[in-house]
Amino acid sequence: MSSIRVRSRREGEYIEVKVLIEHPMENGRNRDAAGNLIPAHFIEQLALTLNSQPLLTVNMAGSVSKNPFFSFRLKQAADGDVLRVDWRDNLGSSDSAEHRIRVNR
Amino acid sequence: MRSSRRNFLKSACIWATGGLYLAKVSDSAAERLAENFAAGDFADRYARLFGEQAVTDSTLIELVLPEIAEDGAVVPVTIRSELDGIDRLYLLADKNPTPLVAEFELAPLVALQLTARIKLAESCRVTLVARRDGQLLRCSRWVNVMRGGCGSG
Repeated sequence: MSSIRVRSRREGEYIEVKVLIEHPMENGRNRDAAGNLIPAHFIEQLALTLNSQPLLTVNMAGSVSKNPFFSFRLKQAADGDVLRVDWRDNLGSSDSAEHRIRVNR
Repeated sequence: MRSSRRNFLKSACIWATGGLYLAKVSDSAAERLAENFAAGDFADRYARLFGEQAVTDSTLIELVLPEIAEDGAVVPVTIRSELDGIDRLYLLADKNPTPLVAEFELAPLVALQLTARIKLAESCRVTLVARRDGQLLRCSRWVNVMRGGCGSG
């Protein structure tokens, strides 16, 4: 089960893309019910490419909310263009997903 | 015979390392510097990020945030601009233990209507700095946070 969900749809002259990632985004300053510090665990980099070309890279730390959500717009895209999403976190975990843009849906 | 083979290997080696070097340089635009995301003081981080560069307040970039955020753990933010050529964005919260919230590297294909959800530790000023043609543009918004929560931001 992928941690990444991607949606795209036409929004006027643009293609709107939404990316949702399941991740705790712990900044290392929260405590659990027993009062122990929860270790920092956050995505460091989210990298998006369109047909293998860099599109959007987000560098971050624990100040991005749990289950990060990003949306943005593409000036143009063609049916079948491949949007690839990659993330890696501070503990060395990573995940990726590919989404095919459907311009006419 | 032997020496020409050695020369070949030598030049192949130089080419290979040269290629690696180029790949590294072209990647570096989006490289994440851990230091930028270290905990610390906002003014200090801001100075380290932008140094002596001029930063101009601009109404051509727009930062949309709620005036009152009920829950500091999830604050929606929208960044908008009609300007072409913005290739990098820095989003900072001046009271967060980690003042730099996120850094975005954009390809020209991305239209600037970008949303995210961020944490704010307490009521603070959120600042957006956009880089365009090497120039820095700035816009900021004050947000009242009702419940910052331990450790948010």
